[in-house]
Amino acid sequence: MYRKLALLLLVLVLTVPMFAGCQKETEAIKIGLEGPMTGDYAYEGQGFEKAVGLLVEQTNEAGGIMGRQVELVIEDDAGDPTQAALVAQRLVDAGVVAVIGAYNSTATEPASEIYNEAGLLHITPSSTATRLTEKGFERFFRVCFLDDRQGLFAATFAKDVLGVQNFGILHDNSTYAQGLAEHTKRYAEEMGMNVAFYDAINPDDQDFSPILTNIGAAGLDAVYFTGYHAQGGLLLKQTGELGLDIEWMMGNACNNPELVQIGGLENAVGTYITTEPLPKDVEYPEAQQFVSDFQEKYDMMPDSVWWMMAAEAFNVIRYAMEQTESTDSEVLADFLHNEAKDINGITGPILGWDEKGDRLGTIHLAYIIDENGDLVVYPEQP
Amino acid sequence: MQFLQQMINGITIGAFYSLVALGYTMVYGVLKLINFAHGDLFMWGAYIGLTGLNVVLAVLAQASPLAVLPAIIAVMVTVALVGVVVERVAYRPLRSAGRLAPVISALGVAFILQSLARNIYGASYKTYPAGVALAGGTTLGGARISVMQIVVLGVSFILMAALYLFVQRTRIGTAMRAVSLDHDTSKLMGIDVNRIIAIVFIIGPGLGGVAGMIVALYYGSFDFTLGWVFGLKAFIAAIMGGIGNIPGAMLGGMILGIIETLGSGYLSPQWKDVIAYVILILILIFRPTGLLGERVAEKV
Repeated sequence: MYRKLALLLLVLVLTVPMFAGCQKETEAIKIGLEGPMTGDYAYEGQGFEKAVGLLVEQTNEAGGIMGRQVELVIEDDAGDPTQAALVAQRLVDAGVVAVIGAYNSTATEPASEIYNEAGLLHITPSSTATRLTEKGFERFFRVCFLDDRQGLFAATFAKDVLGVQNFGILHDNSTYAQGLAEHTKRYAEEMGMNVAFYDAINPDDQDFSPILTNIGAAGLDAVYFTGYHAQGGLLLKQTGELGLDIEWMMGNACNNPELVQIGGLENAVGTYITTEPLPKDVEYPEAQQFVSDFQEKYDMMPDSVWWMMAAEAFNVIRYAMEQTESTDSEVLADFLHNEAKDINGITGPILGWDEKGDRLGTIHLAYIIDENGDLVVYPEQP
Repeated sequence: MQFLQQMINGITIGAFYSLVALGYTMVYGVLKLINFAHGDLFMWGAYIGLTGLNVVLAVLAQASPLAVLPAIIAVMVTVALVGVVVERVAYRPLRSAGRLAPVISALGVAFILQSLARNIYGASYKTYPAGVALAGGTTLGGARISVMQIVVLGVSFILMAALYLFVQRTRIGTAMRAVSLDHDTSKLMGIDVNRIIAIVFIIGPGLGGVAGMIVALYYGSFDFTLGWVFGLKAFIAAIMGGIGNIPGAMLGGMILGIIETLGSGYLSPQWKDVIAYVILILILIFRPTGLLGERVAEKV
């Protein structure tokens, strides 16, 4: 008798969470946002929050998605893989139906495993490491473009526009930077350039003068740094202080106003940056509308392209939900893989996604830092 | 030429490690406590220096390297004050509680100081205002040495020499050396042990704070994790030189800075820590008390 009662109780206890997981038709749609709100990349994470927050607010004012309000659940992974796994589980437990995040590939990788197991639609705005989409996760997508594409672009720019023969590549051992460095190296060698220098820094360091002294003596035409802006800024500053003449190219993680602030204007001028176009250089009306709304609400420009990408991720989720009239991750993922084509995105036209979840096409541009410290589109593009 | 440049690079990094290592070594000398909060007191020096500079520049209404002097005094006083409070609140009540409790308490203080800095100043990178660091430099036998490097090295050596003389030649210094040998006997000799320990917690964190501000001036940017890496490296430098020994801390810092630099310059930054710590382990195997740990009998 007691045993039967206990069994019944056990069944009840086990099934209650199953029902709790399903959101009722009238409740708000919970969408997760995972990003580095603190730590090295806090600038980007806090921008994610602003950009997505703006769209959520606009969506709710316009009546929500399918008549349901949207609730944004924000978690801070501090850019750290351990923390990322932890907060990913928290988002799953909170009952979100889709997740936007994380910023850096190192954090996105462990989080994507957890979202995949929970069967959630997961869109990263900014993690470009190639291997993230090599795992066969059917509900994982990116709105950014692969490192592979940027590597090809950087190598082409170095060879065809700058006329580089002896090329140097420096990364920081992070998932993203190492991936971009490897792709760039492969394409550079295929194009017949000599990759005479290939090494990595430790991003925890403050002093890079030993390796800069080496780079300065290596006789390179240009050096491509694929890491993040905090170290990029220090590299520029210390290059200047050592009196070295190094032609720096930097990847899209250095596309950040803090690069010039940390590096010092006189050291940063003339640095090339390969990146997705800045908000001000995207001519599509959807982009212009978003930029002006953003300015009005926050009294600042959306300075980072990754903030735009985060907004884009939300845009895509909203679009997919409205088109399919569903919040089921499987239905949404299926729609994005097979039917979503030629969407007017905030970052430009979205041609669609391939079977791995990578966005089709590319939109990279080469920029140069001018004497005011501003990023301007370099007049010559490959 | 490249070797000379790498030596200059290494000595600069070494000077920073030495300055921070002094704080670890002094506290260990009198309390046999590894003050893990020292790295974060050092980091606070950088932040208070930033606030100080902003205030001074607002008063001066123009950017000038002279603004550093009042700011550095503010840093010294404030961080020393924090150091004394930390000792009073987190270490003194645990002095008779064995060796483990104070170390855990020190780690706790480290996390508190770090979180406070993040919450007060924000998580993003901070940069010092333009025009306060001295610009320019000179080429010496094919190697470049900047004015800031000369200043950093000069200030470090003056501070270290002054501290050494203070400990060796003054009455308070003599009392410190006595306390480091034996608390109870020192008390019997009429030394106010608590007062001496408080003085150590004025000098150690004060110097650490100044080091933090100099590091921030030199590199120009930092965030709230600054104390972690520098603290760890300086702690290792103190062990390498012989913990509790002031000249040992200077020597250990220099050696660590130079080995790291040569490792990353001639091999790769990815290998420099491997080399540095293999050498550390070798030193400890052959001289378990550190390089200068035995030669000098009196420890502070």
